[in-house]
Amino acid sequence: MRADLDEEKDERLAALAAGGDRDAFDALVTRHRQAVYRLCRSATGNAADADDAAQETFVRVHRSLPSYDTARPFVPWLRKIAWNCGLSVRRDGNAGVPGVAGGDAPEAIDPAFGPEAEAAGNEERRRVADAMAGLPAELRMVMMLRAVEGLSYAEIALAAGIPAGTVMSRLSRARSRLLAAMGGGS
Amino acid sequence: MDCRETQALLTAFHDGELPAADRVRMEAHLHGCPECRARLADLALADHAAGVPDPGPAYWGRFNARVMDRIAREADGLGWPSAGTGRDAPDSVVPADGPGVTVLRPKGGWLRQQLRYLVPAAAAAALVVVVVHYGGMRPVAPTPTAPPVASDRAASVPAGQPMAKAEPGTRATKKADSTAVMRRVPPPATTLKRSPDGQGGPGAGAGRDATGSVAPAAASPPVAERRSTGEAKSASGMNMAKDRSAETPAEVSLGKTRSKAGPASLASAPTRSASPCESVRMLAAQERWRDAEAAQRACLAQDPSAPAREKGLVFLAELLDRQARFADADAVIAEVDRLYPHSRPLDLYRQQRPMVQKQPMTAPGTR
Repeated sequence: MRADLDEEKDERLAALAAGGDRDAFDALVTRHRQAVYRLCRSATGNAADADDAAQETFVRVHRSLPSYDTARPFVPWLRKIAWNCGLSVRRDGNAGVPGVAGGDAPEAIDPAFGPEAEAAGNEERRRVADAMAGLPAELRMVMMLRAVEGLSYAEIALAAGIPAGTVMSRLSRARSRLLAAMGGGS
Repeated sequence: MDCRETQALLTAFHDGELPAADRVRMEAHLHGCPECRARLADLALADHAAGVPDPGPAYWGRFNARVMDRIAREADGLGWPSAGTGRDAPDSVVPADGPGVTVLRPKGGWLRQQLRYLVPAAAAAALVVVVVHYGGMRPVAPTPTAPPVASDRAASVPAGQPMAKAEPGTRATKKADSTAVMRRVPPPATTLKRSPDGQGGPGAGAGRDATGSVAPAAASPPVAERRSTGEAKSASGMNMAKDRSAETPAEVSLGKTRSKAGPASLASAPTRSASPCESVRMLAAQERWRDAEAAQRACLAQDPSAPAREKGLVFLAELLDRQARFADADAVIAEVDRLYPHSRPLDLYRQQRPMVQKQPMTAPGTR
């Protein structure tokens, strides 16, 4: 990846990538892959589907770049795609339809997920993870965007396509349910 | 500020979203109320649970290359070159675990995404035709067990027909993959009467109207990726029969918007007393947008089931866009937004909508 791209804004990279600059696209992927993965993880509730959805997100971004308006901020656009990919993969799973990736993934989820597997061995962390996984996807999304990504209500509202007031109520419900599931809270 | 008011605003306070005046009042209350302070501390505990385990550096080390591979594969070699992980599955026609039927993977746009749900039906249709063909029978009418559109998707086209990338505005297509033994997506076909010679075997939806009554500069429909349909568990899981009403129109639309040859085929969809949901396909194929809109509205009125309705409403919006009735389409889209937050079909259509609006179909019969 070219070093000069590191300093470029997302929108500029997107424009370059739309013009066929592979390095620019690679830079975008590198810059946002973790946030995309986290969002997909929230949408799907499990690591394997999150991987599939995260990959699919960038495929879809690549596909849509030519129609992306660089006057619009890139990140909310990306988040929206990621979230929809996450839901899409999840819905496919529920429906029994082969996932978006199907046999598409180069390989099965493997020990690269070691840290996560390790975490699963930790009873406390497992309990916490289960509590989060047990939330409805729309609650997980706002929780993740707020607690992990640190977005404001307005930013979450934009990403989720909901009113800011709904963001607050969802966060409130999500936290209550998490605390109840974790056996804590008052 | 009392405890009740405090607790109502606690989330916003915790998130720093409270107006300054309320914040000062809240702080004053918290100072003297251990119970509310405990609740506030709980919020931080809940936030801790939201963390997502990191897959680790090895995972990230491969991530970009896998994305690039997937893009390259999806573009069938027409996009960026593969990153070369060497793990690509060969482009074989017959999936290892499939019934010998190549099924197409939707690869772009909201419309194409709808095809995913037609996969089981396409497999079933192809299977029926294979049996009929090799059984010495000459099918002369669409099999009632398979929706015509779905069977079209299972058909093949003559070899040598160039594939074109369908994404508007995407990278130009450069080559037709002459080596890959893959079936390509034909424009929707009419009936089972005529079959493409030899190539691809007894395609399900043979006779096709290849004249392309429509569609300006659009390219062919999706380049196929294959996926085994050996597991047809989705058929029941997806409640295909119910969903078809909404998905099939989307398929038609796909043909309309993407296909050079156009889906005129559907004009010969089953003539048996077509329900509104069935006739909308035919009407859309004939670019009778207003009639299709009416049929789609009738179809929606018939089928209140959520999944079909979501897609059906989005398709209705497209039908309105086709008539340049953008305000009406906006209203439908707002309705979808209201009813189905995070609607994937809507999101996908939004990405395509500018193209639809820029290229309203103006062929005869449009209005």
